[in-house]
Amino acid sequence: MDYLVTIAVLIAIYTILATSYNLVIGYGGLSTVAHPIFFAIGAYTTGLLAVHVPFIPPLGNVVLGMAAAVVASVLLAGSALRVSGDYLLIASLGFQLGLLQLLKNLEFTGGPGGLSAIPSTIVGPMRGPIFLAICGAAALACVFAVRAIVNGPYGRAISAMRDEELAFTALGRNAMSMKIAIFAIGCGMAGGAGGLYAYYFQYLSPDQFDVLASAAILTMVVLGGMGTAFGPVVGAILLLAIPQAITFLQLPPSIMAPTQGIIFTVLVLLFLYLRPSGILGGKA
Amino acid sequence: MNPVLRTEGLRKAFGGIVVSDNVNLSIAAGEILGLIGPNGAGKTSLFNLISGVLRPDAGSIFLNGERIDSAPLYKRARMGIARTWQNMLLFRTMTVLDNLLVGPRDYPGESVMRLAFGRGALRVAEAAMRDRAMGILGRMGLEQTASSLVVDLPFGQQKLIGLARTLMNDGPLLLLDEPMAGVEGAAYETMQRVVRQEAEAGRAVCVVEHNVSFIRDLCSRAVFMANGKILQDGTVEELIASDILTELYFGV
Ligand SMILES: Nc1ncnc2c1ncn2[C@@H]1O[C@H](COP(=O)(O)OP(=O)(O)OP(=O)(O)O)[C@@H](O)[C@H]1O
Ligand SMILES: [Mg+2]
Repeated sequence: MDYLVTIAVLIAIYTILATSYNLVIGYGGLSTVAHPIFFAIGAYTTGLLAVHVPFIPPLGNVVLGMAAAVVASVLLAGSALRVSGDYLLIASLGFQLGLLQLLKNLEFTGGPGGLSAIPSTIVGPMRGPIFLAICGAAALACVFAVRAIVNGPYGRAISAMRDEELAFTALGRNAMSMKIAIFAIGCGMAGGAGGLYAYYFQYLSPDQFDVLASAAILTMVVLGGMGTAFGPVVGAILLLAIPQAITFLQLPPSIMAPTQGIIFTVLVLLFLYLRPSGILGGKA
Repeated sequence: MNPVLRTEGLRKAFGGIVVSDNVNLSIAAGEILGLIGPNGAGKTSLFNLISGVLRPDAGSIFLNGERIDSAPLYKRARMGIARTWQNMLLFRTMTVLDNLLVGPRDYPGESVMRLAFGRGALRVAEAAMRDRAMGILGRMGLEQTASSLVVDLPFGQQKLIGLARTLMNDGPLLLLDEPMAGVEGAAYETMQRVVRQEAEAGRAVCVVEHNVSFIRDLCSRAVFMANGKILQDGTVEELIASDILTELYFGV
């Protein structure tokens, strides 16, 4: 039971990550790999505050974690996009690797061993279900917030910007501030997911925010359908549920580990060839 | 009367190529100015300088007497400089109506804050914009295309949509880059009529066009440009009578 709740909480948290990443790259057309590092900024900010500043309520800590992710994302996008859109991809990778090194080497973040002993906040037998309810509600809120953003007049502006940025700007629209806003909203959501993660698991390790995490979130978005509202949800469920299902086959670990890798690689390749717009995307 | 647009000593060079060489140009309200010149003369570059796509190396630009050459592209659009593009640059994944709805100077969907907290006001602004867009499409006889994707329209209608989108900006200056290239038949007539109506409504219009008969029908004044320089600025009759055009188009 606990085990299933944990999987469900993870699905909710990765739904937030995949949905917000989809807003940034699928709708906004902003190429970045650094989504997990904003997840990390939220998680570490919330975790450190929970450990060291006991008088801030948990919700306050999560909000501060989001705020830290937003500030970092505005700094990154604001400087990188001034150079060029392609530059953001490289800058985001550098930002992610640099910050990971920092997390691994700083004393107060717990170094390579990670940050542990984050207080539980919710205790008792209902801890799991309560966390699941909170994370599930947050995930739903993100999915519908992104849907509201991309469906209305704001979404129309986003697709116009993606289609023809020059014409869009010459109609009086500030493409730069719109890109930074989209980036900040997406990264802020990732930061919030980080805060929830820190409270639920009570332990953070720098390695879980590396480029493998970037690849996992990207795969969720691509499999589910980039630029669709519910695709990332499907992607998150599939990518987290399939490995668990494989576990039930009770294969020996020596076969198990490579099997998962092979299945993901085959899935991604299959989708790229057969259904490049993802499960929920229209036929390409 | 004060001109809507005035440039003074405008200069721009790309490496060795001077695309704008001491350009002094002015356009009055209600006037349709023709801008003619051979390929590579610097006509589009001049539009880019005026609208803010390019920064001049020297010189100044005034809109209704106010100096604007340090304002970025998007701010100049909000000041009321509306332009079309030689290669249209339509939003190709979007419908005709949505293409128009991005065009107003004051776009209600601009801010996420408004999306979150001002939904009532947003709906009102959207409805007003929609009426305006349908009105412009109506003037062109294109209401029935509103929900088609722009890429599904014939070329001439796409050119009209490029103009329609620009007309959502109700500012004082309209810059049209080769509106007639590739346009014939009904779309040609419509284009001519709408451009004339815009000038009659008091806008200053500048049209880059290789089609001399279009210029003759529409403009009273014409400017001839080559190698970034204005070589002649006068009535269309003077320009047609001079040797310049004959040399250009008939190679004499
Ligand atoms: N961004 C740029 N960088 C370098 N050279 C440029 C740039 N933009 C224009 N040019 C050059 O400047 C010159 C003038 O170009 P421009 O597009 O203004 O001409 P034009 O009068 O509009 O010609 P056409 O009738 O073919 O449209 C050309 O030689 C062009 O190659
Ligand atoms: Mg040109």
